[in-house]
Amino acid sequence: MNFDFGFALKILPRILEGLGNTLVVSVLSFVCAAMLGFLWEMLRRSHPFVRPIVQFVIDAIRSTPVLAQLYFAFYVLPYYGITLPSMFVGVFGLGFYYSGYMSEVFKAGIDAVPRGQGEAAESLGLSWLDTLVFVIAPQMLRNVAAPLGAYSVSVLKATPYLAVIAVPELLSSAFDVASDTYRYAEPMFVVGILFLGLASVAVALVGRLERRLGVVAPPH
Amino acid sequence: MSFLHILSEISSGFGITAIVTLLGLLYAIPFALVAGVLQHFSTGISRWIVTAIIEFWRSSSAIVLLYAFYYSLPAFGIYLSGIAVASLVLGLNIGGYGSQSVRAALQALDKGQCEAGLALGLSRSAVLGLIELPQAITVMMPTFINLAIQLIKGTSLVSLLTLTDMTFRAKEISQLSYNPVPIYSALLLAYLIVCYPVTVLGRRLEKSLGKGRAGGS
Repeated sequence: MNFDFGFALKILPRILEGLGNTLVVSVLSFVCAAMLGFLWEMLRRSHPFVRPIVQFVIDAIRSTPVLAQLYFAFYVLPYYGITLPSMFVGVFGLGFYYSGYMSEVFKAGIDAVPRGQGEAAESLGLSWLDTLVFVIAPQMLRNVAAPLGAYSVSVLKATPYLAVIAVPELLSSAFDVASDTYRYAEPMFVVGILFLGLASVAVALVGRLERRLGVVAPPH
Repeated sequence: MSFLHILSEISSGFGITAIVTLLGLLYAIPFALVAGVLQHFSTGISRWIVTAIIEFWRSSSAIVLLYAFYYSLPAFGIYLSGIAVASLVLGLNIGGYGSQSVRAALQALDKGQCEAGLALGLSRSAVLGLIELPQAITVMMPTFINLAIQLIKGTSLVSLLTLTDMTFRAKEISQLSYNPVPIYSALLLAYLIVCYPVTVLGRRLEKSLGKGRAGGS
């Protein structure tokens, strides 16, 4: 079998049909992961009794492959009569997986806010929630911007996992072309180049955002 | 099938999981060290080339890379087994992340360490091998452990190339059974048994060294 560059160019528009979904799924998964990750961190800080349980959950999320987690969600939920759109399962599955990592980002981000800030707010009579929302969170956001940016690229690079649970994104459309034409080399090559390009653009955008915010980028 | 029976069936795929992990580490560690050191020390065009190679492996999505190499290499006349492609791709992907922590650790070293070594009459390579790298490796340990876990988890992708690892075994059994619940629970448990101790070890090390940051997959 020989590689046919003309064919690779011809199938490009068909593969690009998945691009919109890839971008939508990336953004939604990232938002879901950040919100869940923040929730984990709040739970971890809530009560000394809850702490070890939440820590175990976070470590368990980080100790199992995202592929196995996605299979679990995709095959087990229907068995109990819960049938959700694959897009929904995919976004929540990726969000769940990355929330384990993002909880650590929020932990470090909150730890880096000087303790006196919270104490001062409390002594001024602010409630626990007001202290969190108006004093801690704005300072924390600056600390977490760089690592969250790095994870946004990671989430983008993880979206092709969703092809295995039938979410119609870039890799799925490459599979569609492959099974229609019986040629795998070109579609897989094209989708590889596309993701390299997408990730490079994402890395550049995140770097620009970090420079604008004046934070130093960690190695992602 | 009882849960224990399912677990033992799944663990029969552990051999492939272990082989791809070990081969992957065999590619990842030298690649991370060499690329990180080269990126730290080289200048001009050679630095640009090293950075481009690292960025290629780091910026690509592991699953896409795996498919791209597995299906495209034969079209260019290169025939490799599934295990060879998987361990090479996953290893270099993880090695790309590792190279950045090598570079960061070398950059973070006290300049005086290198100067003192040179002043004592050691050669540049002796300073690197005997003074800088041993210190850098201590700093990098937590990151490397986290990356090793990423690699073990990443090997689940070889199931998509129909290699009979733990994930593939689970899919196989689930096609014979009408109840996916114990099968996929057992699969998650199997990975948890392998990775959880390492995850906890990595977190402890990270705490005691107060440094290190793992890259997401």
